[in-house]
Amino acid sequence: MVTLDVIAAATVEHLVLVYTTLFLSIAIAIPLAFASLYSERLAFVIMRFANLAQAVPSFAVVAIVVPLIGIGFTPAVIAIMLRALLPIVKNTYIGLSSIDPQLIDYAKGIGLTDWQINRHIRLPNAYPPMFAGIKFAAILANSIAVLTAIIGSGGLGELVFEGLISFSTERLLAGALPAIGLALFLDMSFTALEKRLTSGQPR
Amino acid sequence: MKTTQTQRLFDRIESIRLANVTKKYDDRFAVDDLNLEIKGGELLILIGQSGSGKTTTLRMINRLIELDEGHITINGQDIMGFDPVKLRRNIGYVIQNIGLFPHMDIHDNIGLVPKLEGWSEGEISGRVEHLLDFVALPHETFINRYPRQLSGGQQQRVGLARALAMDPPLLLMDEPFGALDPLLRRQLQDEFVRIKHEIGRTIVFVTHDIDEAFKLGDRIGIMDGGKLVQVGTPEELILAPENELVASIVDADKKFKHMDTLRVKDMLSHLDDKYIFESGMGVDQALDRMAVNNVEIGIVCDGSGLAGQVEMADLLRSRDEGKTLEDIAESSIVFSPHDSVAMALGELKDRGRSVAIVMENERPFGLFFSDEVLLKLI
Repeated sequence: MVTLDVIAAATVEHLVLVYTTLFLSIAIAIPLAFASLYSERLAFVIMRFANLAQAVPSFAVVAIVVPLIGIGFTPAVIAIMLRALLPIVKNTYIGLSSIDPQLIDYAKGIGLTDWQINRHIRLPNAYPPMFAGIKFAAILANSIAVLTAIIGSGGLGELVFEGLISFSTERLLAGALPAIGLALFLDMSFTALEKRLTSGQPR
Repeated sequence: MKTTQTQRLFDRIESIRLANVTKKYDDRFAVDDLNLEIKGGELLILIGQSGSGKTTTLRMINRLIELDEGHITINGQDIMGFDPVKLRRNIGYVIQNIGLFPHMDIHDNIGLVPKLEGWSEGEISGRVEHLLDFVALPHETFINRYPRQLSGGQQQRVGLARALAMDPPLLLMDEPFGALDPLLRRQLQDEFVRIKHEIGRTIVFVTHDIDEAFKLGDRIGIMDGGKLVQVGTPEELILAPENELVASIVDADKKFKHMDTLRVKDMLSHLDDKYIFESGMGVDQALDRMAVNNVEIGIVCDGSGLAGQVEMADLLRSRDEGKTLEDIAESSIVFSPHDSVAMALGELKDRGRSVAIVMENERPFGLFFSDEVLLKLI
């Protein structure tokens, strides 16, 4: 018998894991994307790495961190970040670099500093691809967070694996169904954040 | 006192001097040993073919392009001694493609630099409202719109309002009306002539359209191959062109045309259907149609013929009042294609108007602009 308390605790654990990873990823990805604007080499390396990382199976990523940094919450965060970081960097970089050069020229012409151009012109224009990247990363992070239960991250994956081992469909579903619900919740939460940042803009 | 505020580098422009200014790209001279003095308060036009160096010259004044040799001084101070960002905040800048930021509404577009300068929200809103009204865009209607919701002419007005946000003593304008359709361009030029007197600033204005140069410029500098060929008032250029090139650009032959033999039909501007509006059309609908077609003046017709004319600014004042065009159309001055130009010009002058409608067979056929006709006659 799985009590609601157990499911709720696992869900909270899962959410903490996913959001921690995502916010860390965003915090690292945006500076990296800006840095890529100033260095073609870095941009090239990141785009290459991003495309490559898509091809690596998630399970392999989880497996590979164990011999390097062991098990637990932090290794799980790092494993998820290895997959979630790159779609955000890549999409943000595309958004930042695809802006009309005339707008940048104009912004300079009215006396904006480089920093102000990045903050007020480039970044807001990159929001649509950036958030597409974040949402994609959120879905990835949510599903990999199920797998990381195997290296001791806790969360809904633990219920799933216990269910698999003990042939308990009930336990398995108690982990799987909330995970599906969370995928929708994550997507909605970032859509809401994007709306807030672009408030009032007509589509 | 706000600490972030950029100091005002100059309250008014006494003079801008370009001395031996040269800009090279590889081996090609974009601007070649240019000497020019721009007087405070004048509107100086730089005109020439593309590649003649006029835009490069303009952009060296606000240091978007750094010169290779020579000096540019404003009120005697070398611009290389100023911080480029500070310098640019003291200079208004308007470009052909307007460059409104698509993710900001009109308020934020105009108020961006004031905001970066640390103005309070109340000061910014006051300034934005004042400027919108100044460029004939009622602020209640436009302040919260986004650039893509505006017509080309409206965007260009916002572009001008934005350039005036910091009340700069100097304006640089790079073909600001170049992307507009001819009739709308003329209308904005007319308005600009009015605004120019009201703001009383020093303006450097780049164009490739000689009619525009004659209409707006106090003095005109003609550029070719990176060199300044001649600078002077329109009269000086027409009466004493320095060489063949200047003569051909100002088309000095035109002054020999004989006005007595000319008819209105020889000098009119043809009228596209998009300028014609049915008198029963509602004001709001007409505004939508103007926005779609990017026009700001409408010729109003009813079943029996011409009913008058309306301008977008008048329509904006009467929106949401349920009126139709019939209610607000102003009567127009009408000529026939066979009237003499001399008579037509005389009548426009007497009545203090600048445009008349030319009718043939009870239908509007064209428009007759007095200043344009005069330019063609010079």
